[in-house]
Amino acid sequence: MSKETFVETDVLVLGGGIAGCTTAIKAREQGLDVTLVDKAYVGKSGTTAAAGMRFSVFNPDFGDDYDETFKMITEGSGYLNDRVWTEICIKESWAAYETLASWGVEFPVENEAEGVFVPKHKVDSPFASARIKRRGVPPPLRRQAEKVGVKIMDRVTVTDLLMQDGRVVGAVGFPLTDVESIVYKAKATVICTGSWSLRPVGAETHNMTGDGQAMAYRVGAELTGGDMHSSHHGSADYPSWRGGRAARAIYRRFVDAEGRVIPYGYEVGPAVDLAFHEGRGPIYHDLDAATDEEIERVWQRQQNSDGMESARIGFDPRKRGKYRISGGQDCAVGAGLWPADTNCATTVPGLFAAGDALSIRSAAFGGLPSGTIMGTRAAMGAAEYVSRVGRLVVDEAEIARVKKIMLEPIERRSGFSPNWVTQLLVNTMVPYYVLLIQHGDRLQAALTMVEFFRDHFVPKLYATDPHELRLAHETKNMVLGAELALRACLFRTETRGAHFREDYPETKNPEWLAWIKIKQENGKMKLWKHPIPKEWWPPEFQT
Amino acid sequence: MTIERIDPELCNGCGICVNSCATDVIRIDEKTNKAVIRYPDDCNCCDYCELDCPVNAIYVSPERHSPLMVGWR
Repeated sequence: MSKETFVETDVLVLGGGIAGCTTAIKAREQGLDVTLVDKAYVGKSGTTAAAGMRFSVFNPDFGDDYDETFKMITEGSGYLNDRVWTEICIKESWAAYETLASWGVEFPVENEAEGVFVPKHKVDSPFASARIKRRGVPPPLRRQAEKVGVKIMDRVTVTDLLMQDGRVVGAVGFPLTDVESIVYKAKATVICTGSWSLRPVGAETHNMTGDGQAMAYRVGAELTGGDMHSSHHGSADYPSWRGGRAARAIYRRFVDAEGRVIPYGYEVGPAVDLAFHEGRGPIYHDLDAATDEEIERVWQRQQNSDGMESARIGFDPRKRGKYRISGGQDCAVGAGLWPADTNCATTVPGLFAAGDALSIRSAAFGGLPSGTIMGTRAAMGAAEYVSRVGRLVVDEAEIARVKKIMLEPIERRSGFSPNWVTQLLVNTMVPYYVLLIQHGDRLQAALTMVEFFRDHFVPKLYATDPHELRLAHETKNMVLGAELALRACLFRTETRGAHFREDYPETKNPEWLAWIKIKQENGKMKLWKHPIPKEWWPPEFQT
Repeated sequence: MTIERIDPELCNGCGICVNSCATDVIRIDEKTNKAVIRYPDDCNCCDYCELDCPVNAIYVSPERHSPLMVGWR
């Protein structure tokens, strides 16, 4: 890798999903020079592309009740939501919808009588939601970014941040196809790299490698989370088939092997996984009891999300039936960066984050509205920072340091293959009895293995080409994310919300009305408790 | 399996599928100028390449099996 390219920009946005595109467009609209980098292709990649259900909107004109909405989010999070962000997400969700609509995002109408919005009684929530089309959201975002003059760089993997005098001044990466390194010098850097979670083979989206969080961790940023995990269930026969998800989301009836109904919903914890854990499997998604209207809704939704796949495997909800499901760790709530303010600054100067990469602690009601809202705010935060930061200086030694780390795996001639290590890691972490139905003994056992991967395999990962070099860095980041999740779960010695400990079944209030914070200190992962403000405690603990 | 085939007779080398694949499974072969499955192990079975192919040259199987973890390799 002898070739080297320099890119200088005001704002460097890493990740081209909904948060990244929104940040880039909004920062560009403020007259800044913006570079948007994605390790795949902006407009097609990321979780936003896979999203195909709904975009929640709160609008008092629809008769939506603010207090009821706030209460639902607060109780659903086990009182751990950041209430400042909850208020932001509720109140700014309508503006987020209007922003996306103005950029050409389509919100399809499935039912003429309903129009764009699914009425709240149909989604069992205190607010309505606009339907979205799977893969329909990202392409207009790319077009808008191009229109306003964002510089887009596709298929570039960024591996680490550049530091100068305690602040982030850019990053270093490489393209997928060439022997070349790209040095980004940026006044502000915004991490929009999505979530950080491992997925069973065949899950609807690939492993979330958490590259941005891992980079930020390595430069000393504070993170939070990693202790809450939820299962997304899949089809046992066709794990990657998305249609089952639409059907299960709309019609939530699950039965065990003997036909007993399993209560389901965010309020009952990992009920389906617990039923399996108790030996009541196989577990089925049961369409036999659905009404004609419910079946029609499942059918309509399916046409918008996965018509082709469902047809290919012969799934037609109108025939009803029981479908065997699978479960496992497929967590929606990986660790994210700790926001230092409400404009998405992290605890490291020059570094911002938005979307799933920034943790607002279950404050939101859906990734797409909150991604848009955070992106809008991150652009404001970054613009303000850029306006007061001086001339950009980056030491050659710092660039050389980060480049060396980036290229090590491809210069290594022997060692361990990234795909093999990732497979070991997924096999260690994904079984439901690690992060979903937890026990200290099992968490510790998994941690012992992950520490071994970290110390023995990661330093000797090798890559034969740039494709594999990207995998090597992703593997390294996933090992770090696994360690973080296991330590966070071990640290929280109680059961609450999406954190279920067999050895600590009680919810400990007010002792654990606290967030877990994590950062690197002296080369070690340090965890500590950050109490939530006392005025946010449940009413019965207020004195 | 996941992505099973790209039909070289149908492929027109437009390269749309290369950008559709977030995990970089597909590349354009430099000699034939046709899309080829270069890194099959990394296919996530998302179907985007098949959905985006303007000439219907790609087939992604809905089946996906976890590879057996039998030993080091």
